[in-house]
Amino acid sequence: MVSRWMYISLVILYGFLLGPFIIIFMASFGANATMAFPPQGFTLDWFANVFETSQFIDSFWISLQLALLSTIVSLIMGMPVAYALVRFRFAGSGIVETVFSAPILVPGLVIGFAMLNFFVLLGDMHVMTGLFIGHTAILFPYSVRVISASLRNLDPYVEDAAVSLGANRLRGFMLVVLPNMQAGIAAAFVLGFITSFNNVPVSLFLSGPGVTTLPVSMLSYLEYYFDPTIAALSTLLVIFTVVLVQAAERVLGLSQFV
Amino acid sequence: MIRRPNQTRTIILLVAPAFIFVLVFFVLPLVFLLSQSVLPEDGGFTLTGYLDFFQSRVSRIVYLRTLKLGLIVTGICVVLGYPASFVLARMPARRRSFLMSLVILPLMTNAVARTFAWLIILGRRGLINQTLLSLDLVENPVRFIFTETAIVLGLAQLFLPLMVLPLVSAMENIPDDVLEAARSLGANRLTTFLRIVVPLSSDGLVLGATLVFTGSVTAFVTPAILGGSRLLLMSTLLRQKAVILFDQHAAAVVAVVMILTTLAVNLLLRVLRVQQS
Amino acid sequence: MPYLEIHDLTVSYEKNQPTLERFSLDVEQGELVSLLGPSGCGKTTTLRSIAGFIRPDAGQIVINGRDYTFLPPNQRDIGLVFQSYALFPHLTVFHNVAFGLRMRRIPKEEVHSRVANALKMVGLEAFADRRPAQLSGGQQQRVALARATVIEPQVLLLDEPLSNLDARLRVDMRQEIRRAQQQLGITTLYVTHDQVEAMSISDRVVVMNQGDIEQVGTPESIFATPETAFVADFMGFDNHFSAAVDSVHDNQLTVNWGGAPIQLPWRSKFGSPQAGARAEIFFRADNASLAAGSEASGLAGRVILHTFHGNERRYLVETEVGEFSVMQDSAGERFEPGATVTLQPNTQKWIAIIE
Repeated sequence: MVSRWMYISLVILYGFLLGPFIIIFMASFGANATMAFPPQGFTLDWFANVFETSQFIDSFWISLQLALLSTIVSLIMGMPVAYALVRFRFAGSGIVETVFSAPILVPGLVIGFAMLNFFVLLGDMHVMTGLFIGHTAILFPYSVRVISASLRNLDPYVEDAAVSLGANRLRGFMLVVLPNMQAGIAAAFVLGFITSFNNVPVSLFLSGPGVTTLPVSMLSYLEYYFDPTIAALSTLLVIFTVVLVQAAERVLGLSQFV
Repeated sequence: MIRRPNQTRTIILLVAPAFIFVLVFFVLPLVFLLSQSVLPEDGGFTLTGYLDFFQSRVSRIVYLRTLKLGLIVTGICVVLGYPASFVLARMPARRRSFLMSLVILPLMTNAVARTFAWLIILGRRGLINQTLLSLDLVENPVRFIFTETAIVLGLAQLFLPLMVLPLVSAMENIPDDVLEAARSLGANRLTTFLRIVVPLSSDGLVLGATLVFTGSVTAFVTPAILGGSRLLLMSTLLRQKAVILFDQHAAAVVAVVMILTTLAVNLLLRVLRVQQS
Repeated sequence: MPYLEIHDLTVSYEKNQPTLERFSLDVEQGELVSLLGPSGCGKTTTLRSIAGFIRPDAGQIVINGRDYTFLPPNQRDIGLVFQSYALFPHLTVFHNVAFGLRMRRIPKEEVHSRVANALKMVGLEAFADRRPAQLSGGQQQRVALARATVIEPQVLLLDEPLSNLDARLRVDMRQEIRRAQQQLGITTLYVTHDQVEAMSISDRVVVMNQGDIEQVGTPESIFATPETAFVADFMGFDNHFSAAVDSVHDNQLTVNWGGAPIQLPWRSKFGSPQAGARAEIFFRADNASLAAGSEASGLAGRVILHTFHGNERRYLVETEVGEFSVMQDSAGERFEPGATVTLQPNTQKWIAIIE
């Protein structure tokens, strides 16, 4: 049914989606300090520069901690919600569902702005606490949706079987449900981690003096410098993402959850 | 659905922690934002913030530009995404899975990194200008950065995956038999595509278009880097009002207009879906 | 001259489909021929080649004197009914049936009258405005049939059209398809794995196995005189054993069965058999009978099991030559498990196959 010329559309699609990444990759090895294309010469200096720029190193650790912490908390708190939504029918389930999908409908920049104003109102809040709260809130939709999807694929009666064999509800869940949701939890984790690690709009307002996430510090670096250091850092991040996404797709089928 | 005794208590225990978290740290800030937009610090309830927004030439231009670019990006994503999604949907599962993981790459990478590539491509001494100059098509470099073209390209690359994913999943559900039935009844490939594939994937198209459009009108990093303060969109306008002009009241108005715009589009989607079924 | 000619059709590999090796078949105008065989025998590959969805590696397909072999499927004049029905879910019954006529740019009024006639033929006039999802399986099947026949194709192809229906409906639909086919006089190929279905509906049956034709013939001849062990097995001969040929007289041969010689008709694709050749002997459960005790002439045995089937009882009898299944009128004497019986063959309905 697919004719040969339709494959041209695939070439265009992938050229457009992936071409820019190849350009960054090439630019990060170019010797000239201004961003001319094609790059002249070959150097690894820009990669060295990435690791010598404390602004990047510091914000990398902050982003990493933030992503791990907010992903794990959103999973731990989101999993019971997913379980309640999938296994029970109750009054107000529609409201619960709406509330937990809302953070995806509201523009990230608006969320960051609204949170900043609200936190100011609350008084003196640590910058990291604010970032953690903001990231956890925007990750709930992913956790709840992905885990709900993997719960739906599991026969609800396996829990009853566990209970009939003598387990209590909690043990039944731990021993029978949880092991069968590993792939869903892992997918939600990868998705949540990437979403938090890459987030700019929410972090932009919530970052403070000395506490900045990596993407935000990249953005402010770009305001002052236009050299291949950013290209080198981008290359590193893209490679990291490709490896993570490929592994997750191979093992978990990530793209079905996006 | 399983019904058990003490169900209500169980449900409350399961839902309450996260629900309270989202209520306090997400819903409440939005309510406060809404109140900020109608309650300036020095006075009572007023809608002047909104009147000012729509009466100001600058913000009107920014708002209409944002909507216009959103529509153009959506159109480009449909044109680029539709035939390619069909090819992807008809592939053997293994190859499709690999290609789909490449499709989502732009969504999964750092927005600054991804947008930086467009600076290299579109810059004064970038790929396109060097090509144009070496072919003697232009005498001086053309300015692409800080133009609508640049923003549209950056946004289209970012949001194309959000068009392709729902389209592919809609088209996967069309059985081969149905396409072959159309062919055996005399339809050529193009007719089969237009008469069978397009109507049967319209759900995916509507969903994809909504995601691309709402994403485009609210995206921040792409317009911030490729449009800067010279070519503002709603998101960059919001940041300008809040961070540079320190006008929280006006910024709140911009934020609420952005929310209402995305809500309106999502509502439209729902209406379209209801009409279809 | 035959209406549909398939010459030496060879398909080596296409998306995991079974292969075909120099497959040839002629079908007369208005004839209904079944392709019968187990899954993987190549029957669907044959059908899809005729429809144009598989490009054969070699061979030729000719319909009504025109070479169809490499014509795109939409330029062939063929009606196709799928196992899944493959109705267009977004179109009403009317528009499903009208689709092929639209593609042929038939004027609107004619489309209306022809669709109305086709729907009338399948008894669905009242359902023209429904969507496929609002119809039962049998009704969807009828729409598929109307859609494929309304274009008055040169050849109608049906691919396991009844396998998604329940048993009762299958019998009704079988008759309906046959009636429509005869009424319209369409040359038809019918793919099925169900021998009862193939027998009841066809003018001729082609039994296929692993990409080859095992036997072609009328339902009656295939039912009574299979030519290969595969066909005999597939046609529901319940009992089978091997024996050496003692002697051959014209169309009868003699073998030794539990110490006594029996005479029975033979079939072979390789000419008259020699004494000493190995014969595969098949008979149906109702072509033998049981007598009480071991005095009567025949093969002595012992009843192991009996099952009741309304008008008949089926016995499993153990003998020194093996276990056999025998069908008896349930009005007659009933033998309990353990009873000693004599098995008396009706050898003129048995068949010896030399391969």
